[in-house]
This record gives sequence, C-alpha cells and structure tokens, in this order.
Amino acid sequence: MSGPPPIEVRGLRKVFRQATSGQAVVAIDRLDLTIAPREVVAIVGQTGCGKSTFFDLMIGLEAPSEGTLRIGDKSPHANFDHFRGRIATVFQQDRLLPWRSALDNAKLPLELIGLPEAEQRDRTLTWLKRLGLGQFTNAFPHELSGGMRQRVAIARAFSVQPDILLADEAFGHLDEVTAAELRETFLALARECGSTAILITHQLEEAIGVGDRIVVFGKSAKLLADIHVAQWPKSKHALLREAIQSTLQSDKPDPRLGRLKKSRATPNARRAATGRRKTTT
Amino acid sequence: MPHDELRESVPALTFPRQAFVSLLVFAAVWETLSHLAPYLGIPPFAIPSFVRIAQSLADITPIDIAVTLARVIAALLASFVLGVSLAMAMYRSDSLDKYLHPMIRILMAVPVVSWILFAVLWFPGVEFRICFVLVVVCGPVFLVDTLDAMRGVPRELRTMMQSFRPTTPQYFIKLMLPAIVPTIFTSWKVNISLAIRVVTIAELVGAVTGIGHQLSVAEELFSVADVFAWTLVLVVLLFLLEAMVARVEVRMLRWRT
Repeated sequence: MSGPPPIEVRGLRKVFRQATSGQAVVAIDRLDLTIAPREVVAIVGQTGCGKSTFFDLMIGLEAPSEGTLRIGDKSPHANFDHFRGRIATVFQQDRLLPWRSALDNAKLPLELIGLPEAEQRDRTLTWLKRLGLGQFTNAFPHELSGGMRQRVAIARAFSVQPDILLADEAFGHLDEVTAAELRETFLALARECGSTAILITHQLEEAIGVGDRIVVFGKSAKLLADIHVAQWPKSKHALLREAIQSTLQSDKPDPRLGRLKKSRATPNARRAATGRRKTTT
Repeated sequence: MPHDELRESVPALTFPRQAFVSLLVFAAVWETLSHLAPYLGIPPFAIPSFVRIAQSLADITPIDIAVTLARVIAALLASFVLGVSLAMAMYRSDSLDKYLHPMIRILMAVPVVSWILFAVLWFPGVEFRICFVLVVVCGPVFLVDTLDAMRGVPRELRTMMQSFRPTTPQYFIKLMLPAIVPTIFTSWKVNISLAIRVVTIAELVGAVTGIGHQLSVAEELFSVADVFAWTLVLVVLLFLLEAMVARVEVRMLRWRT
C-alpha cells in the first residue's frame, strides 16, 4: 500500500467577512508549510491565531481565499469526495452521536465509505478493544465517562485507517492523567497506522511530547517557528518550552529557537516516508 | 428536597387519584343537574343522565369511528411526508426557504373554517375536501417543526459529520433524521390533537359519514346525549392515538433514558 501523500501549503490566505459590520478579518495570511508523509506535527498558537481555520481548511470544509493547500496533488476542498476515508478527525469534544452506541459511533466513517457490514463490525470492534472499550461497545455516550467517550472518538477516527489524522485540542478538556494516556495511545496508533498526524493544541507540553515537529503560529497564522523536536535533546525540553512561550507572547521568533528555515520534513519523517505502511486489521 | 429527587422518588405508574376525584365530582354534579333540570327551568334534553348517555354510547356505529380514524391517519401521513420533504428541501436551499417561508406563515394564519369553505367551494369530492383541509392545516406544522429541528442540530455534530465526507443522502439519513426524531414525535402529538379537531369540523360541514357527521345528526335531533357520547369517543380516540405514538417514541428514543 502506498503511504500518505505530502501536504503542501503555499501562500495560503483565508479572509472572513464579519456578518454584522462587513469588515474583512484575515484569519490566515500567506502561510507556507510542507508536511511530509507520516510526520507528526503539532501546531501551537494563541487563541484566535488561525489554528482552527487552518484545521477547517485541512478538512476541506472551507476554501482558501488565496493560495493553495494540497494533499498530494489534490485540494481537500475542491476534491472533497476524493478524501472520503482518507482524512479523519478527532475534535476537542468527542462529538459522538447520542443516539448511537459506542460501536455504532465508531463505525460511522466505515458506513460512509460503504464497507460490508461484517467488516465494519470487525474493524470497529478491533479498535474499540485496542482502546480498552471492549466491555462498553453497546453503551450509549451518556453512559460513558469523558475519557471513554474521547476513546470512542479516537476509535472512530482510526477505524478508516486514514492517510491524514487531524486532532483539534483533542485532549485539552480531559484531566492530565487521562490526557497523557490518550495522547500516548493516539501517537502510537498514528505511527502504527502510518498516518500523517496534525495536532492542534495550545498546550506546549503536549506539543513537545507528541510532535516530530512543532509549528508555532503567530497572529493570522504567521509562521513564527518550525521546530524539529528531535534536534532538541530531552534535557533541553524545558528551554524549548520557554522559548516557544516567549515566541507566543511576543509574537516574534525567540532567538533561542534559531533562524526560521524554509519548512521541510524532519529526518525522522523522511525515513518513515520510505518505510512500509503498517496495517492493523 | 430538590425537585429532581422528588420526581425520581415517584413510581412510574401510580393511581391518578386527583384526576379520578375531579372526574367523579364532575359526574356527580352533571347527574345531579340532570335530575334537577326540570325544577331549574332547563329543558330535559340539555343535561341528559348518564343512563341516557350510556344508551347513546351503545348505539355508536363503529363504521363512523373507522372512517374518521382512516381519514385522520391518511391525512397525517400525507402531511408528514409532504412537510418533512419540503423542510429538507428548504434546509438545503436558502432561496427556496426565502420563497416558501412567508407562504407557509400565511397558510398557518388562515383559520380552519376558511379552509373548509375553500375546500367545499373548490373540490367536488368529500374525501378530497377533508384530506385537503387536514393536509393544509397539519402539513405546515410538520414542516416548521422539522425545519426548526434541523437548524437546531448542533454545529459541532454537523461539522463532525461533514469532516467524514458523507453524501447528501447519508448526511440526512445518518445525522439529520435521527437528530430530529424527538421533535418529530412532539410534532405528531400536536398534530394528532389538531387533526382530530379539524376532521370533526370538516365532517360536520361536508361529509355524510364519520364522527363529525354523526355530531351534526345529533345536533339536528337535539340529542345532547348523542353529542356527549360521540365527543367521548373522540376524546378516547385522541388518547389512544397519543398513547400509541408515546409507545413508539419510548422505543425509538430509549437512548435518552
């Protein structure tokens, strides 16, 4: 099986017009970014910096005002249907359908791509069991804890074995122990599936702990820093955290992060891109 | 004790003591008045005794009940299909919504009696007249409720669903329809009550069968006992239909409990 395609963002601009005043608001202003196949990228930035707009553009729910966002040679917006079953998302809230059981929620994307019923069930059960929900497959969302619901949401995303996994503050509302555990599980599964993963977060610990790369957005998604975490030994993670914090506060790149180079894939990701993609079912 | 705890402590099925007492008091007052009517200057037919009403109940013709019931169910089904289909189309198309919405509001403001008169003047067939009146009264209720419910589906769920790229039919079948089921049940309950009342008036004016027609006959015969009996039948019919809908609702919405 071929691996996920690279993501190329060139001169991306997104402008919204305010409904009441008609005033133009620039959410993303000329963003350039390249994400290699199988790379795990954490995007950090302050509230209102355009992270969520970037997320919506990645999903394909919004069209760029200018510039291009391409996954492989296709646009997630213009070629919306092409990415059915290829892009999966985990949101901040679990966003489970309250009338569906955990099993039915997790198999929703498989129903949409039209897999045979037996395969849908087998695949979903496998993922729910892997996420520790084997005993709760028939439970409705209101019968599950917040952490369990988020696990179902993760199972739903992984069930299609997507090329691209998007997570928007997916663990931010959980308690730290549950969040750390789920973060690790998410990362391990993403690597095992061979998916490219983009995590949007405002938690620096999460970004440093999870990402191969950390992309720091300033106002209007201005690229302030593009950090390859592997180049920072664990002993210097506290310093890295401080430097990112300072970058976010001043909206200027902190000198400790080094000069911003043109966005490119990490050595890890390049190695991963040449390897075989693992399958889980 | 907080209200919620109080509610939970009440068993699901209890004897409705208060309702029973109020009905008993009403029956006692009615029966007393029926006996005292001659002394109070009230015509004897105006307040018949329960024995006379029981005789009228025994004379009830089931075919008229069946005809009214069939008219109500057929018209409600037609109104439901029409209302929900139009609501889905209006949800999909803003311009269709802008064209149709004012029209729907106007339709809803027209009194039932006007619709009955229009139907009598426009259409020769009795069944079509009654069906027309019921559909034109109940259809907009289904439409407005369904449209409001679809617009009320949380944005988070809509975005989640869209992120998995469903086709348009999948989007409606997997998200929209299940999400609006609770509102649809409420709408059915409202419309059953509305339809029972409207069908009676429509039959009263332009039909030769059905409960409304029997009420008209009772009125011509000055038989309050017959009016009482047929009204009782209508009330029981309404309660039975509502109970049936409630039963289906409990089954379909068991995820809420």
